[in-house]
Amino acid sequence: MAELLASGGTPGMVRTVLDNGADAVYVGAKGWSRRRAQYEMDDEQILESASYARSGGKVLRVAFNTLPASGEIPLLLAKVEKFMAAGIRDFILTDVGAMTALSRNFPGVRIHASVGCTIVNAQDARFYKEAGADQIVAECRMDREEMRRIKQEAGVGLEVLVHATTCYTLLGRCTMSSYTRQEWRIDAEGKNHFLGSPNRGGLCYRICMTEWDEVGKDGAVEGRGIVLPNVAYFLVDDIPSLIDLGVDTIKIQGREYSVPLVGEMVRFYRELIDACVKDRSSFALGPWKERMAGIVAARDAERREKTAGLISESLSAP
Amino acid sequence: MAAIELIASLASPRERAGTDLGPYDAVCLGSPYCRRVRGNFAEDLSLLPEAVSGMRAAGKNVYVTSPAAPRGRDLPHVEMLIAAAADAGAQALEVHNMGVLRILREKGNPLPAHIGAYANVYTHLTAQVMRDYGAVRVRPNAEVSLQEMEILARDGGVEVEVLAHGKIPLGVTERCSLLSEAEDADPKCPSACEEERWLTTRQWVLKNVGKGVLSGRDMCLLEHLPRLLSMGFSVFKIEGLYESAAYRSEVGRVYREALELAASGKPYEVRPEWAAVLRRHSREGFCNGYCFGKTGRLYVGTVLQEDKPKV
Repeated sequence: MAELLASGGTPGMVRTVLDNGADAVYVGAKGWSRRRAQYEMDDEQILESASYARSGGKVLRVAFNTLPASGEIPLLLAKVEKFMAAGIRDFILTDVGAMTALSRNFPGVRIHASVGCTIVNAQDARFYKEAGADQIVAECRMDREEMRRIKQEAGVGLEVLVHATTCYTLLGRCTMSSYTRQEWRIDAEGKNHFLGSPNRGGLCYRICMTEWDEVGKDGAVEGRGIVLPNVAYFLVDDIPSLIDLGVDTIKIQGREYSVPLVGEMVRFYRELIDACVKDRSSFALGPWKERMAGIVAARDAERREKTAGLISESLSAP
Repeated sequence: MAAIELIASLASPRERAGTDLGPYDAVCLGSPYCRRVRGNFAEDLSLLPEAVSGMRAAGKNVYVTSPAAPRGRDLPHVEMLIAAAADAGAQALEVHNMGVLRILREKGNPLPAHIGAYANVYTHLTAQVMRDYGAVRVRPNAEVSLQEMEILARDGGVEVEVLAHGKIPLGVTERCSLLSEAEDADPKCPSACEEERWLTTRQWVLKNVGKGVLSGRDMCLLEHLPRLLSMGFSVFKIEGLYESAAYRSEVGRVYREALELAASGKPYEVRPEWAAVLRRHSREGFCNGYCFGKTGRLYVGTVLQEDKPKV
């Protein structure tokens, strides 16, 4: 059965998602994942969280899925070595070179190619498998036919995000945020947090979500209040087909949301998946959609508030 | 010092028309953003033989780009593109997508790969992987600083291409934002992206090319060319996609003269006439912040700085 993977933005969130039915949890190593530092964990917190996950027979995956500088690779390898020594085997990566280095240096390591890899076709999936990935995350808009092809042809695990965001651009192929504001901030360990770059430091100012005017060559405004579509989605209808497809991991993103909300999302998907698997003949989506509406409303309220804050933060650029 | 190569990008015969390629050593043909760009050299493969042979006869190196983010349904075309580019005598395929790179290798690398800006090359280790798949040149992601590029070039085992001037590629998307209907149904396609469109808000300006988001300001490394040469860089791109023929021609001439001066060992200065040309073609001013580890829209330097309220 598909693994249910959920976000662990804090040690408290790790416990909550595991207690609510997630089979696995992912956390970000401080400075190394696609979220800002407040949603990442230091090494001790990661080790404690891994221990908690193991105690319940569950898995903790550490995200190192930003794109580092060449000079930071030794830091990455040292951290992975430390985590491997503590029994953590599962890592999420984006940088192809880093994937290759981990698979060569750490026998037994399990690598997931992050959503930041923007894997859009089966040949992509095969490339990342050759680079060392055991599992790949499908690009958020990938259709079922492409997923089926990956399952049949690529020989690599397939992970699908059921709660996430479809950015205006292809996720992982956008530098609009750092174009408006970027700061290099190096922490005590020597890791640059590349503030403002979602690809490199995790913090995205979501400037696509502000209102834009469209202007022509002569400077005349031709459209006002244009919002570049950046939609948070919450898949329900697709769950049965994803299960039938043999998707290996169903993932719930959400480190930046409140712990109770993420816990509620995990409980929702746990029960939905279990009900779908248990008795497909009597399974109906109607009641689940009603329940989903409440969660989505709460999620959207939190997201709106965060987005406004991020855009404002970008505007205060030095 | 390696021979300098100045590259122009041209999407189509429409962009080729009126463009003086005299200042350039090489041309990269096609648009990676959208297969529906009218006359896209990377799409209308019947255009390649004449375009490639003509430019090669004129002494240019010729490269052909490929789609930035092809879905599975696009890959049969990619296979034909690879064959057509190789048959036409193109000297490299610009590759942004790892699936395309893998197909190129499956085909026995009939031509080498130049890794494009959307491939997200940030580290020398990634450059090495690309090299092992048949890449000989890499254009790092826009966010990679000059200092990091130097390491990439030294330890990656590949040439590094530097965007010397032009709009920075900031994002690629699949839904054309210039259309209100589906591509097949909207009469504005494919002409919509042939007109200038800008997105403005607060203090930001971006150039909207439908399936791509470009910087509002022009990347400009003119005053830093001596430093770039001393760092060992020798391959420079002028981003000419979605610009006018005059832009490609005149900006190319400025950089040709500037590179020759910078390479001569004579005292280097940005000539007023160069600055005037670049300013005339730069609606929103200049930027190069990424090269120096700063905000992308900022300009680092002294000669071409100007007080533009929007970036």
